[in-house]
Amino acid sequence: MLRSTGIISKKWFGRLLPLILMSIVGITAILIGIFYFNFISQRIYKDSTDHLGEIYGQVNHSFGAFVERNWGLLDSWSNYLKMSKDTKKSTVSDFISQEQDYWGFSEFYFISNDETCMTLDGTKVNMALEGAWDSLTQQRKSIMAGETLSSGQEVTVFAVPVEHSKYKGFNFDAIAISYTNKDMANSLNVDAFSGKAKCFVIHNNGSVLLSTQEGGNVFGNYLTYLRAASDLNEENLTKLKNDWLNGTSGLLQCEIGGVSYCILYQPIGYQDYFLLSAVPQSAVSAGFLSVQKTTINVLIVIFLLVSVTVIALIVLRSHKQSRKSRIELQYREQMFDVLSNSVDDIFIMLDSENHSVDYISPNIERLLGIKVKDARENIRVMEKCAINFNVVIPAKELESIPLNDNRYWECEYMHQTTGERRWYRMTIYHLSIQEVKKYIIVMSDRTQEQQMNQKLQEALTSAKSANEAKSNFLSNMSHDIRTPMNAIVGFSVLLEKDADNSDKVREYTRKIMASSHHLLSLINDVLDMSKIENGKTSLNVDSFSLPELLEELNIILMPQAKAKNQNFTIHVQGAPPEQIMGDKLRLNQILINLLSNAIKYTPDGGRIEFLVSEIPKAAHQYVKLRFTVKDNGIGMSEEFQKQIFAPFSREVSSLTNKIQGTGLGMAITKNLVDLMGGIIKVESQLGKGSTFTVELSLALPDKEESDMWYRQKVSRILVADDEEDICLNIKEMMRDTGVDVTYVTDGSAAVDAAVQAHQNGKDFHVILLDWKMPGLDGVETAKKIREQIGINIPILVLTSYDWSEIETEARMAGINAFMPKPFFVSTLWQTIKPLFIDNTEQKGNVDVPPEGIMDGLLFLVAEDNDLNAEILTEMLSMEGASCELAVNGLEALEMFQKSSHNYYDMILMDVQMPVLNGYEATRQIRACEHSDAKTIPIVAMTANTFAEDVRNALDSGMNGHLAKPIDMNAMRELVGKLIGKNNNN
Amino acid sequence: MKKRHFLVLTMLAASLFLTSCTGEHKKSDNTESDSLTIMGRKSDMEKSYMTSIFEQYETATGNKLDIIEFDDAEFEINASKKFADGDVPDVFMHFNNADLNRFDVSNNFLYLNDESWVSDLTNSSRAYCEDKEGNLLGLPFWESSVSGCFYNKNILDSLGLKPAATQAEFDVLCQVLADIGYTPICWPADGCTWMFQFGLDPIFADDPSLLEKLNKNEITYSDIPAVTNMVKWVSDAADKGWFGSNFLENGWSDISMIMGSGKAVMTFIWDTWFYTDFEQGNKYSVDDFALMPAFMNTADNGTYEGGNLNMMMVNKNSEKVDKALEFLNFCATADNYNIAFDGISTVNCFKGQTTNIQSSMVTDASESIASNERVSTAASKIIGYSADDVSAAFNQMLNKKTDVEGCVKLMDDYRIKEAKNQG
Repeated sequence: MLRSTGIISKKWFGRLLPLILMSIVGITAILIGIFYFNFISQRIYKDSTDHLGEIYGQVNHSFGAFVERNWGLLDSWSNYLKMSKDTKKSTVSDFISQEQDYWGFSEFYFISNDETCMTLDGTKVNMALEGAWDSLTQQRKSIMAGETLSSGQEVTVFAVPVEHSKYKGFNFDAIAISYTNKDMANSLNVDAFSGKAKCFVIHNNGSVLLSTQEGGNVFGNYLTYLRAASDLNEENLTKLKNDWLNGTSGLLQCEIGGVSYCILYQPIGYQDYFLLSAVPQSAVSAGFLSVQKTTINVLIVIFLLVSVTVIALIVLRSHKQSRKSRIELQYREQMFDVLSNSVDDIFIMLDSENHSVDYISPNIERLLGIKVKDARENIRVMEKCAINFNVVIPAKELESIPLNDNRYWECEYMHQTTGERRWYRMTIYHLSIQEVKKYIIVMSDRTQEQQMNQKLQEALTSAKSANEAKSNFLSNMSHDIRTPMNAIVGFSVLLEKDADNSDKVREYTRKIMASSHHLLSLINDVLDMSKIENGKTSLNVDSFSLPELLEELNIILMPQAKAKNQNFTIHVQGAPPEQIMGDKLRLNQILINLLSNAIKYTPDGGRIEFLVSEIPKAAHQYVKLRFTVKDNGIGMSEEFQKQIFAPFSREVSSLTNKIQGTGLGMAITKNLVDLMGGIIKVESQLGKGSTFTVELSLALPDKEESDMWYRQKVSRILVADDEEDICLNIKEMMRDTGVDVTYVTDGSAAVDAAVQAHQNGKDFHVILLDWKMPGLDGVETAKKIREQIGINIPILVLTSYDWSEIETEARMAGINAFMPKPFFVSTLWQTIKPLFIDNTEQKGNVDVPPEGIMDGLLFLVAEDNDLNAEILTEMLSMEGASCELAVNGLEALEMFQKSSHNYYDMILMDVQMPVLNGYEATRQIRACEHSDAKTIPIVAMTANTFAEDVRNALDSGMNGHLAKPIDMNAMRELVGKLIGKNNNN
Repeated sequence: MKKRHFLVLTMLAASLFLTSCTGEHKKSDNTESDSLTIMGRKSDMEKSYMTSIFEQYETATGNKLDIIEFDDAEFEINASKKFADGDVPDVFMHFNNADLNRFDVSNNFLYLNDESWVSDLTNSSRAYCEDKEGNLLGLPFWESSVSGCFYNKNILDSLGLKPAATQAEFDVLCQVLADIGYTPICWPADGCTWMFQFGLDPIFADDPSLLEKLNKNEITYSDIPAVTNMVKWVSDAADKGWFGSNFLENGWSDISMIMGSGKAVMTFIWDTWFYTDFEQGNKYSVDDFALMPAFMNTADNGTYEGGNLNMMMVNKNSEKVDKALEFLNFCATADNYNIAFDGISTVNCFKGQTTNIQSSMVTDASESIASNERVSTAASKIIGYSADDVSAAFNQMLNKKTDVEGCVKLMDDYRIKEAKNQG
């Protein structure tokens, strides 16, 4: 704390330093100014007062000269009067008048010692002469006195004693002239001091004789005036009075009516008169004031310059610091923005008074889809994306937080743009930042935690569900496996008991085989399901023929439907492409599952429809096919429809109880459809039947060459079918081949058409005949056509029935081949192709190896299971082969190594064995130095039939793979392929 | 206050003595051939000095006076009707003002220039009674006063100042007083309507042609620069603070206190005010005051206004002209008028007046008065002149609601309107 205080003090001192410097400079400037000002003031004032004294000394001198002149004039005139006293009166009058005109006095007086006066024109006047009579008449002195005439006019009288004489009978002892005070004042006026100076001639008692007061003299006694109007105290006034009485000059200052005056007084030197001047201090000190003003101005300018300089420095420094602070702030803000952008926490700072936003981290736009600008303007915009509460930051909540405390709560938001949900833990701190109260809101992102919790919850739920499913599975499996196993075990016991009864043996054996097949089917389904669910199923996409697929389905399912006397039909709507890309095996599995179920759950005599149609596709290189399986069977409840695709889902009813099933078929189907990116839907009504729809987008292979029909010179065909729709469908499907299709709807017409064409020399290149037509059926029609036009033209019978029962009769009638319905162009081509092309190639393609191919072969069998080993031994024995057994891979290896060259023909290797598994044993066999090590065929025998199992087998050096339980046909084929004995034979 | 009281009393008297629809009152039923008829305002006829001279005359001569008096408010109308009917009295009493023109002065009344008592008239009283040609129209027999600038001589003496003799000195004096904190002039704006005529008197008294042109509506005040100068002086004086700071709120009743307390040094008023309205007991008494001319920038040496005088005129068409002249001679005899005016406060109408009371202020200023007194011209001779109207115009200006020119225009407007009202 002390340390921080010290830092603060230094900081403040740093800030105050310029101010202190400025103050020192300013005070110094002021002190210098005052000192200079006082010095100059005193100097100039002294000079001014000296100047004032000089001026009025000159005025006094001039006035004295004026007085002397007047007295001199009167003296000179007295001599004239004395000399001319015998002259005529008019002569005196003229003389004085001339003098008056010249000197400008206002009146001339004859004065008697009895204090009477007479003017030149003989008018008697009374004059007081301000008590100067005695001086004039008794002391015979020249005098100057003020006088107010009866007219009210004020004059100054100058008089000199003369010898007693008489004028116009008036005895006079003195003569006088008078000047109006106005004229007198002119002699006292000075131009100095801007005309603001007033000059008085006063008596030593203060009475004013005359003044230069503009407008006239209103002053009676100046001492009295000063006593009443000025700020002079009695001491000053007494001194002044004494000065006047003593005839002393002086200078004083006083204030009258708020104006400072310099009062200068000097004795005139005549009688007791003084010349007094009152000059405003401002006029006296005008020069000083000018200097003062200039000085002050200079000082002000200096002070201002210094101040401006210091202020500029302060501002510059402040600006620099401010800029530095701003840059630092910007840097921190940018850094904080970058940091906040890189995290998913949101930071907000609110003013505690009005809740305005001081700061909000920019990541709010990324995290919540709220623009920073909008949030800055109004924090309530956050309410738009709040999910679980209405008010984002309730004012009451804020105000309830004490200073230096915090509150928090959880909240959920939805991104304004993406709709993504985010969870936050909002913590609000109430703090004081630089003595300003703020709310700091930290919104910590809890989305990952929340999602993890959800996932954990889901996982827990899933685990529980899985556990439950597992329990259900085990329960189901226990039941489903035990049921056939029970039959197998039971009938095996019976078989042993009744071994001598061949009929019962066959019966028991048939039932054991049936149960075994069911059990095997069950195991396959379970494994298939497990494989799909584990994501281990991969689609083997290849080009395949849709007609072939449908034909195979027909072959597989027709017998089942026929066995239940059901009407099973396959329809193709539109003209779907025949060659498509896909996993034919898996698609076959899907459709067989659906159709098998339809047959299974449709009572005898029911109807099963299988419709293939093309629906609008999304991409050019794809075809979208809809496979619809519709039956009128027992249907399903709504509840069951919701879980039909769940594993082990079987509707339990009196009807379904009698039907065997694993409950995995539809789950596998659904998973396969999903794997293919398709959709499967079911519509069903209990007791009325079900409709399953599968929609798949399948890629199209590259186009075949379209001119094969042309190259084989097939350009006209005749179609005869009693269903015209089929005829039109064939015509439509053949349109792109360039082959002209003529159709008729009965056998006779077909005969006629063929004959007609033959006669016209335009035989049809192929004739298609429906087997079952009203009137002439297909066989009969073919027979008649052959009779008319010969045997050169291929005739095919188109049928959806098993033609085996009529095959012999048909061939004898001249029918070249049979074609299954529905019609496909590729099927037609594949059917007629051998008829046009040399058939030698076909003769070499024998798929099924002949029996006895393994006759005489010696197999090394590695099998750890004794029972399997025994079965295999017996089966090989049945094929005429023999084997030597090894109980694990190591023993097999050792036996092989010990064998002579070409001792074993083939090794059948179980995979999962103790000591050394099949893969490793194979690798070591291949790696050993036995002469047959590299060449001896090694075939895996395993219950694992997945693709990766095959691949692992091949990777380990094996040559083939046989699934358990061993299918002897498959074994024969594989042996033939690997050993090629069949070819040798 | 005197004038107000006078007016109130006159109206009261008029209501009390209203006895007939014509308002005519005859003091005597004497119809003898040696009797004289005298017509005048009722309140005028009841003045003590009037009743005194009437009694002296009847006692001394045995002649009887038939006094015809009308209520003041109806006097001008009723008297005019009498004259119009040819019923002209032997002696007619009237002020020499504008209303006198109603009575065809030149054809009805005798000029009295050559009467023996004329030389005994003071200059001002004679001047008042003359027509524009200088003919004496009647014998002034009335109490009177002198209006001018009354100043506190005690204060001026204490300040070492002396009264002004010229307009320039007066202005200097005002400024000097103002500079040292005194209110130079007591100028109560509210209800004091008389002052302005003091300033106007010199303009029209010194140049009667202006008065004639003004009354003939040939010119207006605004055509006379001196009028504007006067108005401007008043305006400037107010602006310079010569009237004090609260003069707009002060009225007639405040003058006594302001002057008695010494708050103001000077005021424009008449001498008898000090004996009728100036309240005693203040700091300064009547003895502390003196008189100098009133200065309103219309006369360099200032002016005094003489009082309005009631004068007795003789019907020159009467068969009793001689007896009427004898009656006037009786009144103008010093012994008789000194008895009548004994103890009356008034300035002298006659030089031989000795028994009346005349203030020392007037006496001391007698030489100045003699030089600068002018008859009351503006108020009595300007047709349509109303002191109230002029005061109202000035107050508009002093309240800054109009300027100098506006004030002069208002004076003209009011005057012309009033003249039209008078017909």
